[in-house]
Amino acid sequence: MKGMLPLVQNETLKIWKKKRFYVILLILLVLVPLFTYAQLRVSQTNAANFKDWRNQIQQQITDLQNTLASDRMPEEWKKYDRIKVQQLQYYLDHDINPNSPDAATFTRQFMASSVSMFFPLLILALSSDLVSGERTGGTIKMLLTRPVRRWKILTSKLIALTLYVSLAILATGAVCYLISGLLFGYGGWTMPVFTGFVIDGSAIDATGVHAVPQWAYMLMQSGLIWISCMTIAILSTMVSVLVRSTAASIVTMMAAVISGSILAGMASSWEAAKYIFSVNIDLTDYLEGTPPPIAGMDIGFSLAVLGIWAAAALVVSYGVFTKQDILN
Amino acid sequence: MKSSGTLWRVVGTASLASTLLLAGGFAFAMRDMLIVTPSVQQAARQAPEEAQAGGQYQQADEILVTALGDSLTKGVGDNSGRGYVKPVLEQLKAATGKPVQQINNLAISGLTAAELDKMLAEDRGLDNPIRQANLILLTIGGNDLFRPVLEARENGSSSDIPLDEIEAQIPAAAASLKSVVERIRAINPEATLVYAGLYNPFYDIAELRDGSAAVQRWNDEAYRILAKDEHAVLVPVMDLFEQRSAAYMASDHFHPNQDGYVRIAQRIVQALT
Repeated sequence: MKGMLPLVQNETLKIWKKKRFYVILLILLVLVPLFTYAQLRVSQTNAANFKDWRNQIQQQITDLQNTLASDRMPEEWKKYDRIKVQQLQYYLDHDINPNSPDAATFTRQFMASSVSMFFPLLILALSSDLVSGERTGGTIKMLLTRPVRRWKILTSKLIALTLYVSLAILATGAVCYLISGLLFGYGGWTMPVFTGFVIDGSAIDATGVHAVPQWAYMLMQSGLIWISCMTIAILSTMVSVLVRSTAASIVTMMAAVISGSILAGMASSWEAAKYIFSVNIDLTDYLEGTPPPIAGMDIGFSLAVLGIWAAAALVVSYGVFTKQDILN
Repeated sequence: MKSSGTLWRVVGTASLASTLLLAGGFAFAMRDMLIVTPSVQQAARQAPEEAQAGGQYQQADEILVTALGDSLTKGVGDNSGRGYVKPVLEQLKAATGKPVQQINNLAISGLTAAELDKMLAEDRGLDNPIRQANLILLTIGGNDLFRPVLEARENGSSSDIPLDEIEAQIPAAAASLKSVVERIRAINPEATLVYAGLYNPFYDIAELRDGSAAVQRWNDEAYRILAKDEHAVLVPVMDLFEQRSAAYMASDHFHPNQDGYVRIAQRIVQALT
């Protein structure tokens, strides 16, 4: 591995100099205030209509029960609402507000809802021109004519990418926390959050439920987000190796991610869809206890699917990158 | 070169630290999901904080309303979605000059008295809203009495609709209503409980007009249950839906329309002010 560090340093600085990370920060600085403001309006409406959060949660439960009473709703959809009712009931019974308005809760919810779309997008901003960018810029020849093995070059790129993926996730959390804290206050780290809901058909097994402080929950959540982001990053590296143009590589990956999230919404009857990587991206669902899009998926299954896709992508990337002829 | 060396040290250290943190977070999450969750016992139940009781609405500075029951309280049939509850809130506010706030509308369409009784027995989440209120609005029983008729109507002919079945439901439904009232009283003995009686939704169907007698018998039963309670009142609404029922019924021929709900609300406010 000697000689690897300068390569990683080189790649890291390259990504930094391409100002991709600034773009991510800029996007966050624009979007997060928007969501924060929207959240503020929601809590203001709730405060105006309900005496305290317990009444609001109870109303939410009643509204869901009313939806459940409707015959027009297909049975598969009712499953989600039934589980939602049981979860809300659990929070209510234990007198813990699942939507307490503070910066930590906001950050947690924002990160959880970003896994399926927003994070992949941020990651693509970093990874999609990792190799194709060198081609477009013509620097690939310089890179490959140096007396360094090609696999080392690709490895250093992947290590640099990993570093930036981590940085991007933490930066998202930090920006979210700092901005939303201005409005909601910087508290909430020690608030208990429930995890350990085990989905069993259309019911929740609550015997494993336990409270963890919110900071621990967020740490676990970020770890899972990191895994799904790394899968996206590795896959997009493969696309970046295979496709010449950066635009094509972004479009390919985005199409895969978006079609995954659409499939997740409608594929409950097509069971084989669970082997598609983008249906498995929402790892944080398992922590929250949201039912998976297709019956029979669990954390082990999703990790295995993501792992196999990532491993295959690595094999293809290294295979092509080390053998490929560079023509212009 | 020097500046890029510093940049590398800063970015490299920060990102390496983030990577380790996130990898640790992932390990932590796996431990929690695969080891802690299966082994953990159910978290010790903490008794929820008791909400402040609402007291009586005449003395209170603010009228706090909790509504519960079936589709009438939900407001089914009203295109504006207001039902009778929202007009009651507004008219009460105008009549008393006090602020009026709805705590919760816990109504569920299609609920029967027995189901409401079961909900009150099992669902402790309902305790708080009921305890906080000083005015409780309730409608129930319609689904118990009319379900056989509705089912017969759905299955086709209206000729052999079982009128006597309406009557047959009354004893069991009345027992459930009695239990519902007792359960509400166990949670909140002081709030004024308003029960809106039933009307005959089939008055405009000639063969079913006799159903009114059965509905009246139900209202009698309800009155008997509520009469002993000095803070409870039964508001009759049956007469509102007879002479010009078409003007006040929704297109489903079962629920009131917006105007019908406003008239129910007027009755309730008259009884309270």
